[in-house]
Amino acid sequence: MTATSLPPIGQAAAASAPPEIAVEGVRHVFAAGGELVALDGVDLTVAPGEFVALVGESGCGKSTLLRLIAGLLAPTAGRVTLGGAPVDGPRADVALVFQRSVLLEWRTVLDNVLLPVEVRGLPRGGYTAEARALLAALGLAGFEGRRPRQLSGGMQQRVALAQALLLQPAVLLLDEPFGALDAITREQLNLELLGLWEVRRSSVVFVTHDLAEAVFLADRVVLMTRRPGRVAASFPVPLPRPRTLDLRYSAAFADLCRDVKHAMASEC
Amino acid sequence: MSAELESSRGRSPATHEAAISATGPSAAGRAQQAAPLHERDANDLPAAGRGRRRPTQHSALALSLALLVALLAAWEAFVRLRGLSPLVLPPPGAVAAKLAEQLASGALLPHTATTLAEILLGFALGAALGVGSGALVAHSPLLRRVLTPYLIASQAMPKLALAPLFVLWLGYDLTPKVVITALIAFFPLFENTVVGLNEVAPEKLELFRMLRASAWQTFVKLRVPSALPYLFAGLRVAMVLSVVGAVVGEYVGANRGLGALIIASQGTMDTTLMFAVILLLTLLGVGLYLGVVAVERRVLRWQWEDS
Repeated sequence: MTATSLPPIGQAAAASAPPEIAVEGVRHVFAAGGELVALDGVDLTVAPGEFVALVGESGCGKSTLLRLIAGLLAPTAGRVTLGGAPVDGPRADVALVFQRSVLLEWRTVLDNVLLPVEVRGLPRGGYTAEARALLAALGLAGFEGRRPRQLSGGMQQRVALAQALLLQPAVLLLDEPFGALDAITREQLNLELLGLWEVRRSSVVFVTHDLAEAVFLADRVVLMTRRPGRVAASFPVPLPRPRTLDLRYSAAFADLCRDVKHAMASEC
Repeated sequence: MSAELESSRGRSPATHEAAISATGPSAAGRAQQAAPLHERDANDLPAAGRGRRRPTQHSALALSLALLVALLAAWEAFVRLRGLSPLVLPPPGAVAAKLAEQLASGALLPHTATTLAEILLGFALGAALGVGSGALVAHSPLLRRVLTPYLIASQAMPKLALAPLFVLWLGYDLTPKVVITALIAFFPLFENTVVGLNEVAPEKLELFRMLRASAWQTFVKLRVPSALPYLFAGLRVAMVLSVVGAVVGEYVGANRGLGALIIASQGTMDTTLMFAVILLLTLLGVGLYLGVVAVERRVLRWQWEDS
């Protein structure tokens, strides 16, 4: 299940170079139902093409931070920039993968993957081959005509991933995308995600509460404190790429996981 | 897996009942959505070889028929053993014979045509208005808040009690019955449209925002398809209620129609005919209901598809 069968660049999509993601002094307060300070004083920089995993206890504002970067939320204070430009709303070159399946049940797998093309008014024909190639790379060849309800949870998240990657986003944001899957399916999806990412690098923020998943995927693991969330610590992951499942049983891997775990225990 | 299948397969009658007994607006739609939602959590591969129809469905049908036969036999026996006059309770055999005779002679045809026209026109009018105004209200939270007290009041009002008023205003022809029927068909569709259009998973709305979809695109590509199961739940309820509306409208003032025929048979003490007409109305209602279900199954194929 490698991504090497993918054509390097789609016919119509112009893959822009991944930008730097910069979060500076961000505070976010939810006003509805009493004031809730979700984030306070968050500083985070993701280098162009870097894969950052964001970890922390549930409720520490990881998803909020992701939505601020996505432009779905506006910070109460501070600023978020992509490649130097302030984020003032969802951008065409940013894709978000959700924890819960957002596939439209009435659409086939292929039509779901092509939804972004349709919404943006791009010619569908120019992307069908690309969509099929992505599905094939994710082991879903032959499932193009199925509907989401006929798929397992893991397959549904693969489709969501294909949908997010179709227009070759420069920034890929993932909100616990494999959190609801069993361990084996999750490992496999981790490998597939890395395979696709290594072919077409984007700047990635991957939210998870699974420390091993974070260490396995990322160039850097960023730990957030309990609410109000801010960045507590940052752990570079100097493990070689491409990463293999065997890596999970190495001493270096275990050491990194332990470091993050200890930091988490003292912070949270 | 079999329990899940059962819940999704047997969905239509259950939803119908939930909707009829619902006091809140969304019960019908929620019942519709409950099964797929929990089905979706399953991590495992899709079960291979889901059967089109399970053997227990056949035996359930057989039991249903057996129950019908038993009830009819008990009815027939009760009438005979007690020596009841057909004026009070005609035996089922006589009712069936009467219905067959009346149908064969063509005497029921004009009445059936009139009532059917009232039902269908009222249903179509009420459904169209219900969906249209539901869409408007769903679109505007302000409008929704302004109108909510009136909607609750109009829901609480026994709408059939307005029938004499409509006859007074609109006369004895088709119009007052169509209006009453439309009024009754309006609410299930209005409510289910409002709920259906608004009950979209927040993540899906976020996805559409990420894709920078226009409000119209979000409406057409996300809200409307999401609302369709709710809409059909509303249509099923409205269809059945439309039969009630038309018949009650005829009770109040009509010289043609199956409801008028029931009143007339009361006058002539022809209880057997009364039962025969009620039987015909029941069959008509079931037929119309199944018609809506058939359309629903075509339109919402994705809800019923197996792997």
